Amino acid sequence: MNTNINLLLRADEETLKRLRRVKRFNFIAITSLIGVGSLSLLLFLLIQIINPSSVRTQQNEIREKISKLQDRQAKLFVLNNRINNIEKILQRRIDLSYVNNSLLAKIPGRLFIEDLEIDDKAVVMTAQSTSLSAIGELINNLTDMVRKKEIIKSLTLSTLLFDESKNSYQVSVEAEL
Amino acid sequence: MNEKINADFKSLKFIFERNKNFILPSVIILACIVLFFQFVIPQFGLLLAAQEEAKQASLKLQTLKENLNVLTNTDEKALDARLKTLNLALPLNKDFSGILNAIYFASQKKGIILGNFSLQIGDLEDTKKQEDFPSISLLVPINANASGVNSFVETLAKTVPLSEVTIIKVKNAASSVKISFYYKPLGSSEYKEDSPIQPISQKGLEIINKLSLFENVAVFQQIPISTSSAQESTTPF
Repeated sequence: MNTNINLLLRADEETLKRLRRVKRFNFIAITSLIGVGSLSLLLFLLIQIINPSSVRTQQNEIREKISKLQDRQAKLFVLNNRINNIEKILQRRIDLSYVNNSLLAKIPGRLFIEDLEIDDKAVVMTAQSTSLSAIGELINNLTDMVRKKEIIKSLTLSTLLFDESKNSYQVSVEAEL
Repeated sequence: MNEKINADFKSLKFIFERNKNFILPSVIILACIVLFFQFVIPQFGLLLAAQEEAKQASLKLQTLKENLNVLTNTDEKALDARLKTLNLALPLNKDFSGILNAIYFASQKKGIILGNFSLQIGDLEDTKKQEDFPSISLLVPINANASGVNSFVETLAKTVPLSEVTIIKVKNAASSVKISFYYKPLGSSEYKEDSPIQPISQKGLEIINKLSLFENVAVFQQIPISTSSAQESTTPF
């Protein structure tokens, strides 16, 4: 008979393994429970700490002080609104007097302006002179302005005629601004 | 047959006896996993939302403190005077007396004789959508030559309310100009409580100073706001 067979020992090894497994499971279960519990408690506490209600209380206090200065607030709002709009108007409004002045400065003394019409896009001028050279001088001056890109961009000679009844030359030009 | 059923029941019982120590921890682990996904993760989301809300509230508080500071440091008398000048330059409504004052002031200053003209009043309260810069236009006949018209236009450019001459017509001494006088109502949607209040900028002060030097501003500032008799002294009506 073989005396080396030891059934009891094998049973003990398996039991030990099982016990170790159970311990491991219990450990994981307890750790998970503690972990989840702590995490949720921590998050809850953080949410309570971050509570912005104290900030809102301060906001309301300041709003109350501002409400006593409501008139001033409204006036300042209107003032800034006016300033912004006035600035835009001053930037965009065209200065026809500058255009008019610049053109009048180029008109020779011997020339008489019969008709002048200026708007934001064009100038139409009809002038009269007994001297053809004065008309030539006018055209040269205006052409110069076009070349130097001074106020007018283009120049068109519409008519040039001699008025026998007045014994004078009449010229009509159109310029684009 | 009964023996077979008994055998199955016995084997189940055997398996249960062998593994009963694992049941409780497994249930606990499963419950923790469910709690983590159902509770902890949503709480984390709440925490982030609370942080964002607190940040926004702090920013708003800072804005309100700055607003209070601006309002406290603003001199009300100076504010009133500046506002009066600006409202003369760009009225909130159609300012007919201001328009007539400006035209006659410019003509008297330059010794220009004006012809008859009329103002088209239009709706006193515009119901249609406003353009960016609404204006009242009028055609004013002027008994003057080109240089006379020019000096009138130059003077008008430095009067209130703000205007723009859009057409100049000169024909011997019978000329005319088309003038547009600006006004600008306040938009109701522009004002918001808690929005930052801007103090007057340096550029704004420069504009106010420039307008104060306009030729008929001093005349207006001597006139009480709501009387008609005082205004008659500056207009020919």
